[in-house]
Amino acid sequence: MRLREIPVDGIPYDRLCVEKIPAAPEYIARDPELVPASNRSVVVNPNRICMPIGAMWAVLGVHRAIPFVQGAQGCTTYARYTFCRIFKEPATIATASFHEDAAVFGGRKNVIEGIRNLVVRYWPGLIGVVTTCSSEIMGDDMVSFLKEARARLSREIGREKTEEIPIVLINTPSFAGSHVEGYDRASKAFLESLATTRDVLSERVNIIPGMLYPGDIREIRHLLEEMNVEGTVLFDISDTLDAPLNPPQEIPYYPPGGTPVSEIRQMANARATFALQPHAGGSGARYLERKFGIPAFIGPVPIGVAATDAFLQNLSRITGREIPASLRDERGRLVDAMADTLHHTMMKRVAIFGDPDVVIGMTRFACELGMTPVAVSSGTPSKTFEGEIESIFREYRELFLAEPRVFNGGDLFEFEEYLKTLPQIDLILGHSKGVDISRELEIPLVRVGFPIYDRFGYQKKPVVGYRGAELLLYEIVNELLDYRYPDDRTQQL
Amino acid sequence: MPGVERLLPERRRHVVTKGDGTAVLPECGRPTVPGLVSERACAFYGARWMLGAIPDVIHLVHGPAGCAYFGGIVRRKSYRVFSTQLEESDIVFGAGEKLYRAILEAVAAAPGARAVLVYATCTAGLIGDDLDGICRRAARAVGRPVVPVNSPGFCGYSQAAGHDIAAGVLLEHFIGTGKAQEPVANGVNLLGEFDVMGDLGEIERLLQQLGLRILCAFSGRAATTAMADAHRARLNIVHCRRTGQRLADAMQERFGTPQLKVSFFGFEETASALHSIGKFFGSAGVEEIVEQGRREVGNAAPFLKKLAGKRVALFFGASRIGTMARAFAELGMEVVMIGSQFGCLEDYGDAGARVRAGTVLIDDPPEKELEEFIRKYRPHLFVGGTKEKYLATKLGVPFLVFPQEMSSFAGFRGFVNLAREAAGLVGAPVWRLARCERYYRTLQTAEG
Repeated sequence: MRLREIPVDGIPYDRLCVEKIPAAPEYIARDPELVPASNRSVVVNPNRICMPIGAMWAVLGVHRAIPFVQGAQGCTTYARYTFCRIFKEPATIATASFHEDAAVFGGRKNVIEGIRNLVVRYWPGLIGVVTTCSSEIMGDDMVSFLKEARARLSREIGREKTEEIPIVLINTPSFAGSHVEGYDRASKAFLESLATTRDVLSERVNIIPGMLYPGDIREIRHLLEEMNVEGTVLFDISDTLDAPLNPPQEIPYYPPGGTPVSEIRQMANARATFALQPHAGGSGARYLERKFGIPAFIGPVPIGVAATDAFLQNLSRITGREIPASLRDERGRLVDAMADTLHHTMMKRVAIFGDPDVVIGMTRFACELGMTPVAVSSGTPSKTFEGEIESIFREYRELFLAEPRVFNGGDLFEFEEYLKTLPQIDLILGHSKGVDISRELEIPLVRVGFPIYDRFGYQKKPVVGYRGAELLLYEIVNELLDYRYPDDRTQQL
Repeated sequence: MPGVERLLPERRRHVVTKGDGTAVLPECGRPTVPGLVSERACAFYGARWMLGAIPDVIHLVHGPAGCAYFGGIVRRKSYRVFSTQLEESDIVFGAGEKLYRAILEAVAAAPGARAVLVYATCTAGLIGDDLDGICRRAARAVGRPVVPVNSPGFCGYSQAAGHDIAAGVLLEHFIGTGKAQEPVANGVNLLGEFDVMGDLGEIERLLQQLGLRILCAFSGRAATTAMADAHRARLNIVHCRRTGQRLADAMQERFGTPQLKVSFFGFEETASALHSIGKFFGSAGVEEIVEQGRREVGNAAPFLKKLAGKRVALFFGASRIGTMARAFAELGMEVVMIGSQFGCLEDYGDAGARVRAGTVLIDDPPEKELEEFIRKYRPHLFVGGTKEKYLATKLGVPFLVFPQEMSSFAGFRGFVNLAREAAGLVGAPVWRLARCERYYRTLQTAEG
């Protein structure tokens, strides 16, 4: 309903309808040949973003770090809009401001001057240099450019001060992958350039959460605290992108928190690395395993009962700490809630889309609730996605009446058109780009995953861990109730 | 702000204070200083800003997934986008054939579309496909215009370059292509009006009272059919100079359509707009409409009381700085800063003439300078875009987002909305509550 304000005399029926902007005024049945994304070159409503934004997300999770984007201004502006809209927080991202001259002569001048300007204006704790399609296609030799930039900086502010500001280069040619891959590359780039020496071993564990929201990271921290395990969360956006409003503020404004650079250096001394999302952060964990032999636990993302169990068991095994009674109680409460609401969730047909790891986690949780996933779509193509989904389906085989459809790397057009051919769907689980599908098909949407920008508070509400799963479960059930029952009926549930 | 000048001499002449004896207007239209958190966007963004709302064409982004994804949202509204979603192999082997196939498939998927707009991004610009040639070939195959929008992100210094590119596309391929030639006696076009939150409806209501009909609004209501007929208008009303002026000049040259630069923000501006439009058409009854408007604007009185004497800082894209400065002055607020991302000298001249001495005029301020400004001048209200909002809020300054999010700001009724929203923001209890240190202290004194 797109009413600007509710008139005094009520809302007329003709204004209750949903405003749509179709490409053609009259509905035309789709050519079935064109529906599958694999059959066409054109992509309609892409379900993924490009690499640099994933890398920018990562850099924003480091204490006093500023991403420097080696590209045109739009590459940062669009990303800043996206972060602002998701987190309702300022996002400080510097741009190399490519104009025509950069496109002709390369971005050497931009990066050398840019790094200098960024440092003298902000004095950041770290600079994460993020490349884009333009700089990668032009073949900017970033390593030597950054050397020159450092030399220029030393001349101006002295060598010592220059040394204090590490620069991490993250190569993210947009056309070679999605935001998930960008985050993944950032995790590797940061560890390669900062966690270089394993000297004084510690009891700590490393957590690379992937593109999870502040609420999720806080929930992970809660699990660690209950387990009495100390951990370093790499790219901890929980404070940087969820800062308190507490004026007057110091100028320059830096958000509190973020992973300190010194802690990232210490990650080479950790006991184990947990990459919660194999596609976003797995490379970082594998790097530490290969280089220093630090055991890597890669996935699954702890959404739902079994995946959280697995995370805690691994944590318990590697640290020797028992899973405490408090967490067993949390688990018990989640399972209790699942039993209480089972009659609403069981056999509900659900469609799931988003980033690969979150979709895998959501699919498993949906199965745990007795729901029937009918279609799952990962916007980012993945080698392991189909296999993972299949193994979940094998485990919960008794639930399925029909074989669910798996889309690996498809767009939202394909997903929507497929859903239109299905008899009845009860629920869609996915991010904000699914709103149009949900309206068109009149199916409720429960918002999960990246990005959610059209509602408030989702970035703070965890979906991971037992408590997160419980909150998500209630949201699913309430959404089903809203759509399926008249209000008077819900008095007796 | 002395710090800036010492550290970044390039920025020195971009900031001026009215009446302090130095330069009158800031330097503008310059390349962005690299390495700062620029508030500017790219040419592709500008092109989407201008063309995104055109309903009956296919919007095909020739570039990687990111540009298509981001380009799907224009002025916070979601639109369907098609894309070639370029991958590594396309970069290496060229993407011309892929683009050609994509155009054909897009038309097959949306056969009702009357044209195809193909946006070139940085990637497309750099790999050097023959965009024009491919579009010509595809146009023959699909039997409707396939129009290249040559807007790689690195073009120009800001999104303004994209506005110009888009205006060129509209002029060359869409405006005045209709067969009918005879002018529509009461027909007008609105140039640079994007119908944010019903602005267009409010303007249309006023124009209808003058007996006028909007043939086409660029591009809040610009179906290809409307654009094809746009040359039949008697008058072009330019609402936003940045996005509308070029269209107006070209249409004046080509079709002889006269133009009027007006604004519908604020009471005085709206009234003078109606007067000058009424004078052009010789309409009767302008006075009554303005009187009626004056009564409607009277509803803003309780809000104006709250706003009187409050300091406001304005930061817009470009040409609205002048007219909005006047509108905020009508609210009784004192304008202490006017900034724009890509304003031209004319814009700053307009704005400078309408504010009192001591007002800071600032061109293309990066985030940092806005932050320093907020600290130094402590405005009671900051007006700007979403990117700047959360920084101002963190520093304890209320923020009004433009293009507006909640209600129409155009015309007489819009002015009341503007007053209501501004007063609501400025007077909200949250800003008092936010000062928790002071709050704790008062609690202690109360208890002690």
